[in-house]
Amino acid sequence: MANHSASHPAHVQHHFVDSDQQFDSAKLGMWVFLVNEILFFGGLFCAYIIFRAWYPELFTQAALQLDKVWGGVNTIVLIGSSLTVAMAIRSAQRNEIKGLRINLMITILLACVFLVIKYFEYEHKLHLGIAPGFFWNPAPEVTATLDHPQANIFFSIYYMMTGIHGLHVLVGIGLMIWLYIRAGKGHFSAEYYTPVEITGLYWHLVDLIWIFLFPLLYLIE
Amino acid sequence: MSAQEHHGHHIASVKMLWSVGIGLTILTVLTVVVSSLGLPSPLDILSALAIALAKAFLVATFFMALKWEHRFNAVLLIGAVVFFLLMVGVTLLDTMYRIEVVPSF
Repeated sequence: MANHSASHPAHVQHHFVDSDQQFDSAKLGMWVFLVNEILFFGGLFCAYIIFRAWYPELFTQAALQLDKVWGGVNTIVLIGSSLTVAMAIRSAQRNEIKGLRINLMITILLACVFLVIKYFEYEHKLHLGIAPGFFWNPAPEVTATLDHPQANIFFSIYYMMTGIHGLHVLVGIGLMIWLYIRAGKGHFSAEYYTPVEITGLYWHLVDLIWIFLFPLLYLIE
Repeated sequence: MSAQEHHGHHIASVKMLWSVGIGLTILTVLTVVVSSLGLPSPLDILSALAIALAKAFLVATFFMALKWEHRFNAVLLIGAVVFFLLMVGVTLLDTMYRIEVVPSF
């Protein structure tokens, strides 16, 4: 039985001893989920490593089709959003709900900027027939610099890795809209901000994955 | 580790968060610059990975606050990386020593 002599705030579920234990348990659960995410993306990185070991010349040629300026801009956009999500958590810890909502809104906007840039990158490539696997149908200006029988494999990996990463960004936007609405309803305070904290962890992981995707896909030449 | 140590959550300072953000931005610019130097084969990938690892360390330590966290969460992260390396290593032991690459791949 819970110790009822201790103060028991409304947000603490009855199976936890206190607020701190509930907070730590939620965070531990999130870290276990992040381990799962790392190994999930790990399978894709593993595919990348194997194909790169098999066809090193393909990867250096194909990377030239990716625009490292836009890739770099998107990296900085995601770093900025990681910073604002960390600031959002800080605001919640200091009971500054207005600051929490402003930082969440900036994070949502930066995540949208990331996806818009990604959309234009995909659009440009698909226009040139740079499509994954079976759909590979390159325009003459592409084959002039990229002439490799396995060129479609690089782009299968590219679309799969950046696509699933993009999906994670989309999920993150959804989560942060949910946090923004809940913050507006006054659900969060310095005493209770667990959803903000663990969504922040998720968002930093999305940033971490991109930190490796950017050099491995865009900068190898 | 006493309960006292964990009483109250660590609140990151604005200065620290911005320093990490600026550091990550500088490292991003650095990795683009280094990649355009055209370093010879093993050096280019090693420098890119070294910079990416430095950035990952900054994000995990400060943004994800592992520095002030229960150590167990850091153990989980390191464990995930170890198992990832195991997966890659064992797979490469197969794929790198095949007489012939599977033709359709």
